[in-house]
Amino acid sequence: MASASDPLDFAARIYRESESALAALSEQLVGRDAFAEVLAWTTENVMALTRLAFDAGDLVVRNLRLAGRADINRLGRQLARTEDKLERVLQEVEALRAGQAAAATAPGEAEPAAS
Amino acid sequence: MNPAGQLTRLGTAAVEFANIILTTPDASIGASARDVVWTHRNTTLYRYRSALRRHPVPILLVFALINRPAIFDLQPGNSFVEFLLGQGFDVFLVDWGEPDEADADMGLEAFVLDELHWAIRETELASGVDELSVVGWCIGGTLAAMYAALEGEAVRNLVLLTTPIDVAGSRYARWVARESFDPAGITATYPTVPGPLIDVANRLLKPVTNYWSTYRRLWEDVAAGRDRRAAYQAMAKWVGDNPGFPGRAFREWITWMYKDNALIRGEIRLRGRRVDLAAIDQNLLVITAGADHIAPREGTVPLLHLVGSADVTHFDRPGGHIGLMIGSNAREGLWPDIAAWLARRSTR
Repeated sequence: MASASDPLDFAARIYRESESALAALSEQLVGRDAFAEVLAWTTENVMALTRLAFDAGDLVVRNLRLAGRADINRLGRQLARTEDKLERVLQEVEALRAGQAAAATAPGEAEPAAS
Repeated sequence: MNPAGQLTRLGTAAVEFANIILTTPDASIGASARDVVWTHRNTTLYRYRSALRRHPVPILLVFALINRPAIFDLQPGNSFVEFLLGQGFDVFLVDWGEPDEADADMGLEAFVLDELHWAIRETELASGVDELSVVGWCIGGTLAAMYAALEGEAVRNLVLLTTPIDVAGSRYARWVARESFDPAGITATYPTVPGPLIDVANRLLKPVTNYWSTYRRLWEDVAAGRDRRAAYQAMAKWVGDNPGFPGRAFREWITWMYKDNALIRGEIRLRGRRVDLAAIDQNLLVITAGADHIAPREGTVPLLHLVGSADVTHFDRPGGHIGLMIGSNAREGLWPDIAAWLARRSTR
């Protein structure tokens, strides 16, 4: 067991205190308006550069007559729209079946005569 | 220990530390047995069956659009789902899946009025009841609150965990509410905002803690021979698993919640219907965390005075935005309290 005067323990304690202080300082820093403004500018610039790179890449792919990201996304959106419609049809069918079942079991409802 | 022994121990610890970091993606999380009840686009409704079911009102768990709902079922022995099953609840969970660019057109209305609405309908069909409890966490709580305000007939009990409602004054608001931050510029480049991009922003809220202290603490534990592999890897894997945020929902979230602070003002409209928090009349449990820097307590508490519910309860507990629901404190404190609150309100 290390003694209270162990230099390693002392160094570890000093380190932890420094780290805590640095953590608090960094949280204050990211909470400042100046940081927020720099973050917004940086985000805007990085997005603009990325968009340029994406557009250039897409242009190359399309000129090679290959399906690009936009083409695949268009197909994906069509599939999603079809799934939306199917879901709504399924819900209508389920509602109709539930309505039929409720009508069949309603009290006082006459059973259809067998022919 | 002699210097040679110390050096050997240090080398072993370094290899073990590297191994823990490198094998984190292999960790198993969200492993409780479950059935798929319903799917639509990326959304999946799961059901966890309880062998001890004794409460007739099922629970539907709704997590945020960022990160994955596996946090509800982190690992055996540290799983809220497992705990609820043990308490006799029938548990369902909505997983929003991994949206890609084809889902960029999904706005908040699609999540609230389609995906969540339909998931609730399917929960009713699967469990054979016409009422349920909804537990929403973070953005999932906000979506659940919007749903309860608009279509809440099927919701008997509403539990909101660390849910942003009035975001004015939060650190996020300071970053994104300013005019120079343009969410449309981001979604013009990334129609669905990549999860890692949002993760960087989340980590930047506490840069030293997230980028350094976490690893320093792990190193100290490994060097001291304390076994934290399973706990660290489960949490690190969950934190690093970030699905994309559909562009339209992202723009609406940033603009409505942070730039306009429109939810608390009752100015959000979904498909033309105003989201009026006063229309929430379910039994309501609001849970806030004392050290929450993402959805600070001050941003959630105003809800308590706005809703129309006759039965309103507020738990304010120590912990952070996620830490509140993880670990032994949650297992022995908050989870039993939530289960007891729900059990009293889940009778026929």
